[in-house]
Amino acid sequence: MSSRALSTRFLARPEVGALVAAVVIFLFFLIVAPAFRTPQSLFTVLYQASTIGIVAVGVGLLMIGGEFDLSAGVMVTTAGLVASQFCWWFGVNLWIGALLSLAFCLGVGFLNGWLVMRTGIPSFLITLGTFFVLQGANLGVTKLVTGSVTSPDISQIAGWDSLGAVFSSSFRAGDSTIWITVFWWVLFVALAAWILTRTRTGNWVYAVGGAPDSARAVGVPVVRTKIGLFMAVSFLAWFAGMHTLFRFNTLQAGNGVGNEFLYIIAAVVGGTLLTGGFGNAAGVAIGAFIFGMTSLGIVYAGWDPNWFKAFLGVMLLLAVLVNLYVKRVATSRRSSDDL
Amino acid sequence: MNATRTRGVRLLALATVVALGVTACSGGGREKTDESDSGGGNAPGASGYTIAFVTHETPGDAFWDKVKAGAEQAAKDEGVILKYSNDPDAGKQAQLIQSAVDSKVSGIATTLVTPDALAGSVKAATAAKIPVVGLNAGIEQYKQLGALMYFGSDDTVAGESAGERIAAAGAKHPLCVIHQQGSVSLEARCAGVKGKVPGTENIQVNGADDAAVTSTIQAKLAQDKTIDYVITLNSQVALDTIKAQEQASSTAKVATFDLDAQVAQQVQDGKIEFSIDQQPYAQGYLAVSSLYLYLKNGNDIGGGRAVLTGPSFVDKANIATILPFVKNNTR
Amino acid sequence: MTSDPLISLAGVGKTYGAIRALRDISLSVPAGEVTCVLGDNGAGKSTLIKIMSGLHPHTEGEVRVDGKPVALGSPRAALDLGIATVYQDLAVVPLMEVWRNFFLGSELASSSFPLAPLKIKDMKRIADEELRKMGIVVADINQPIGTLSGGQRQCVAIARAVYFGARVLILDEPTAALGVKQSGVVLKYIARARDAGLGVVFITHNPHHAYLVGDHFVILQRGEAVLDKGRSDVTLEELTTRMAGGDELAELSHELGR
Repeated sequence: MSSRALSTRFLARPEVGALVAAVVIFLFFLIVAPAFRTPQSLFTVLYQASTIGIVAVGVGLLMIGGEFDLSAGVMVTTAGLVASQFCWWFGVNLWIGALLSLAFCLGVGFLNGWLVMRTGIPSFLITLGTFFVLQGANLGVTKLVTGSVTSPDISQIAGWDSLGAVFSSSFRAGDSTIWITVFWWVLFVALAAWILTRTRTGNWVYAVGGAPDSARAVGVPVVRTKIGLFMAVSFLAWFAGMHTLFRFNTLQAGNGVGNEFLYIIAAVVGGTLLTGGFGNAAGVAIGAFIFGMTSLGIVYAGWDPNWFKAFLGVMLLLAVLVNLYVKRVATSRRSSDDL
Repeated sequence: MNATRTRGVRLLALATVVALGVTACSGGGREKTDESDSGGGNAPGASGYTIAFVTHETPGDAFWDKVKAGAEQAAKDEGVILKYSNDPDAGKQAQLIQSAVDSKVSGIATTLVTPDALAGSVKAATAAKIPVVGLNAGIEQYKQLGALMYFGSDDTVAGESAGERIAAAGAKHPLCVIHQQGSVSLEARCAGVKGKVPGTENIQVNGADDAAVTSTIQAKLAQDKTIDYVITLNSQVALDTIKAQEQASSTAKVATFDLDAQVAQQVQDGKIEFSIDQQPYAQGYLAVSSLYLYLKNGNDIGGGRAVLTGPSFVDKANIATILPFVKNNTR
Repeated sequence: MTSDPLISLAGVGKTYGAIRALRDISLSVPAGEVTCVLGDNGAGKSTLIKIMSGLHPHTEGEVRVDGKPVALGSPRAALDLGIATVYQDLAVVPLMEVWRNFFLGSELASSSFPLAPLKIKDMKRIADEELRKMGIVVADINQPIGTLSGGQRQCVAIARAVYFGARVLILDEPTAALGVKQSGVVLKYIARARDAGLGVVFITHNPHHAYLVGDHFVILQRGEAVLDKGRSDVTLEELTTRMAGGDELAELSHELGR
């Protein structure tokens, strides 16, 4: 029945390249870094991966849908700043600030998507604009509200403990600390995977990324789907922002810049095609894990972390090459299929 | 689809209303006091001088806020019109100085972080007989560039005095955390520490991401249990380090450069051993004041040498005095 | 059955700003017939498709579906009226599996909630069955559709339109990029769709292909219909000549005469 070799089908899965890379890197650090071998280290790596991975899941979905969001990194900080300063200024419960911040982020996501769809300008440019606007507003508003560029201490405001429990609690298992973000990350990845493969929405995401005109021609609501994806990214950015806020309390208004590329890197390393239409949630998760593993593995090995970025760049290039190869294998026509 | 969305919005609105109703006005927020103006000062421009103040500030760094606050206060006190501008890019900073020269300001205060790139514009200023003072960075080069005076701290000296202090406390293997890649002044501080404690090790972190800073330092403390001190170079990294140190159950002590309200609190609580303050407010204030005095009275401050605004140590012994100033955002 | 044609155009025109792309087109598509629209590049064929498929609204004249005047606002609206369009390049999403492509835009789910689970097993089974019914056998329903040949992709797209209750099938140059053998396969499906009672609009610039299956022929030139005849009133030669430019060709032949 199935003449397609099993190996071809396996290789055609987006996350395979990343999985192989993850295993190799994991073994590599196990060998060279004694400090890497403890469960504590694994959980620290998982924590680091989760803080990138939560937003990366959304960015991955968006990239499968054929768009970019360069504002995601700064939006994490924006989310925290909006919640923190609103509550501090007006002296209201932090839950209100958190919800307000959520509404604000979703609004920005909607605006990103709407502008991209309405104007037809590439999302790369639109969200670059949003990125600068948010970056400037983060600093400007914080300066106006607090008189400095650091957000105020909000740990005494009502709601701190309950929100902390949701977004930044941790518990100890043996010697290791496990952060709740790791669970949230796993949950979001599972949800994203389920949506992508098991729902109509997921079908549409692949379609609007792979061939938007074809999708539109068969009745897929392209505009709604893409705007929804931008809003999903901003939701997850908000989530990550809440974690940062309730773990670190005071935020520097200039933070978050540069992380948008880490999200994109995680997605691309995880097998997401830059041109859209191909990738999956597990791959993005593995990409984020690779990021966490390399960024900390170098420290565990006691090497000079100055090299980290270079290492990351090599990883990215390799991932892109593997993806290119995989795509070619996956879509190459075999002559036997011809009529 | 539309129905569910509308329902969601309604729920959200309802939740917000309920939450507002239940807990309006919760404690712990802003203290609603009158804005106390720090000093009356003269009307802007009363003295007739315009001073351009150019820095290499990357927007969003709390440090420069204080420099600026000091400069603004001095301008107010002395009736000077202050024109603040900044750009982290050396070429653009040079451009900013040049445009100050072109607009014929009375004096220029500038940071000299990249002396070679700025030399041309500073020369143009001196050629146009506009007095220039340096601040914050460029202690070695300010004279040969033609700046009259210099206010700042010497990063190497500051690092060395931190090194001396922890060496006296028995440090053998401190970790020096660099939060910005390729920064000369941060490298100089760590080099200063290493000059006094040869076992010093540097580590690079991504200063724009607190979670990354925390987990990187946590990993390092887990990897090398012999680390006995962590020296951080700004206040946010110091706070992140405390979190990392708790996670890694490390006994390493924390000391930091720079000071803010949170760090001051941690110093008071004993979580941070000491903070090395280079007194940015004073740098801004003195740079403007010295130009004012030079223009008004021909004064020369520093006796032909750089005026050091730091290192000034803040620790448990003097924190009680300094804390109010920190809260005022002037230290 | 009413005597109304499934879809009929009366005096339809379309302008894009100052550019007139289509002028005074009248056309009717009865059930169980193949209406061929022929024309060279730029003759207005794609504009005509866009009007009938709901991508761009017409600016003049009247479009009727089942005798009632309509203004098709979107491809979805056209689909809901049973008008399905299969585009030459836009037929499928190459990286998606065959069965996902088959159901794209009309997925089977347990409810209309956007995150309701898909009935994946049913979808795969139906896709396979329907394709077999049309005589299309793919090795694996789970393979990306991009691995199929161009002819197969067109056939899947046609089978999909038929399955989802299309009454009018608009085919945009389905044989343009295909070899002789694959074109034959596609033409067979067109005949099969016609026999199943669908109204087919077959857009092509190849009079030979058109004449093999067509019942009615319209030739477009510079946005206008220059020929509009039933099968019995026209010969393949006439079609070929008119398509090739008729008089112009004669002139060209004279110039190049040897």
